[in-house]
Amino acid sequence: MSSAGIQIRDLSMTYNGKSGEPITALQNINFDIREGEFISLLGPSGCGKTTLLRIIADLLKPSSGDISILGKTPREIRLQQKYGIVFQSPVLYDWRTVRRNICMPMEIMKIPKKERTARITKMLEVVGLEDFGYKYPFELSGGMQQRVGIARALALDPDFLLMDEPFSALDEFTREKLNEDLLNIWSKDKKTVIFVTHNIPEAVFLSDRVVVLSPHPGRVSAIVDIDLPRPRKNALREEAIFYEYVAKIRKSFEGV
Amino acid sequence: MKQKVEKIEKLILPILFGVLLIFLWQAGFLHYIFKLKVYQLPLPTDIVDSLRMNFGKALYDCAITISGAIIGMAFGSFLGFAIAAIATFFPKWGYGGMVVVTALNAIPIVALSPIMNCWFSSGMAQKIGVVTVVCMAAMALNAYSGLNKLKPFSIDLMYTAAADKWTIFTKLRLPNCLPHIFTACKINVASSIIAAIISEYFASSTAGLGFGIKDNLRKAEMSTGWSYIVVASLAGVVLYSIIVIVERNAIKWHASQR
Repeated sequence: MSSAGIQIRDLSMTYNGKSGEPITALQNINFDIREGEFISLLGPSGCGKTTLLRIIADLLKPSSGDISILGKTPREIRLQQKYGIVFQSPVLYDWRTVRRNICMPMEIMKIPKKERTARITKMLEVVGLEDFGYKYPFELSGGMQQRVGIARALALDPDFLLMDEPFSALDEFTREKLNEDLLNIWSKDKKTVIFVTHNIPEAVFLSDRVVVLSPHPGRVSAIVDIDLPRPRKNALREEAIFYEYVAKIRKSFEGV
Repeated sequence: MKQKVEKIEKLILPILFGVLLIFLWQAGFLHYIFKLKVYQLPLPTDIVDSLRMNFGKALYDCAITISGAIIGMAFGSFLGFAIAAIATFFPKWGYGGMVVVTALNAIPIVALSPIMNCWFSSGMAQKIGVVTVVCMAAMALNAYSGLNKLKPFSIDLMYTAAADKWTIFTKLRLPNCLPHIFTACKINVASSIIAAIISEYFASSTAGLGFGIKDNLRKAEMSTGWSYIVVASLAGVVLYSIIVIVERNAIKWHASQR
């Protein structure tokens, strides 16, 4: 077995439901993620996509099976501080300004102060919040807060960027703009991105490959290669080939 | 500008109400509706007169009581916070500590004071002891919830950055706890003064607001007794205001301060 990228083997996750009955969140998951790949985990709610992301992030332990990341366990990779994570909600610390929120994981990772300041300034520009660095989270709209959460993860320049439905709470316009921005940022150094979403066009637009998960129990029902040329711009969403991919993935849900 | 007008409006109404109440009291209306004689409820002017004559002694008694209350509050709040912090770091043992603190919280001050009176020879030590126990509980319970009620995923964010327990404590739990600490302090200001005064009822000491109230009411010096009550409440208002001002500047980011 090669030690490059991420290998997921026979991964299952079972937990006890409210009345004690076992619930299978994930069953027999097998696939690989290449280094530098933009991969989406796509599926309806209850398919275990977030659970899978949390297992990769070492926030959950699987019931059985293995994950190997660059030949190491998720825990080792986490302790080597190779992860950046974006959640469904912004998860900002209320007592820190925008700048200091972005700074927080970098402080923990002992990145030198000068470097931190430079990265914060750059990331604020990337997410279009140059004028809001010294504001507190409560002074920002929900969409702006989420962009701070994204800037915080990007500022780490992590080897593995884990994104759990980061744009799901945003309106369609902001979502499409941030999709494009995310690709721009990613295209510069092509780190591995694992992106959880329930939005089919979003998954097609962003990804090299889409892992389609189906629920009850959560399992991989298809893996679709997206052979669309990069760089991708939002105009791509109007093209026939884009629709074909969306339709193809939608179809893979119908058999479920 | 509009905000300022609103703020003034918020202040004016309570002040008007207070002035009206004192006026009705002075005019004998309160005595009329509660069927009280003037020796039972002295007139405001009499209370002010007694206070003026007894001002030095009242100030000294106030200093005795308030210093005991503040020292006890500091001890109690520190201990309470320490218990909450230990309970957070070591959840299995710490939980027991929190249960004990909750039980302590249920002991009435009137039961605690005579016990502390047996333990300590000096009135000051007894007072500090009572106030410490009373303040410990409110701080422990509030601080514990502040240290542990975290926003969803905020601790996951720390884990993902491979933060250790201590970093999570200083960078996440502690600042998250700050508003709760202020809440506890506000509760404790009131209860520490009450506890200090009540503990003086039981102590053998001959100083302090509690002694002043007890002694003067016993001697039927009603207006002097009442002047001590006025001093006690003024001291409470001043201490409470100090905490509110510090709070306003310390946690500007918190929802309660917007």
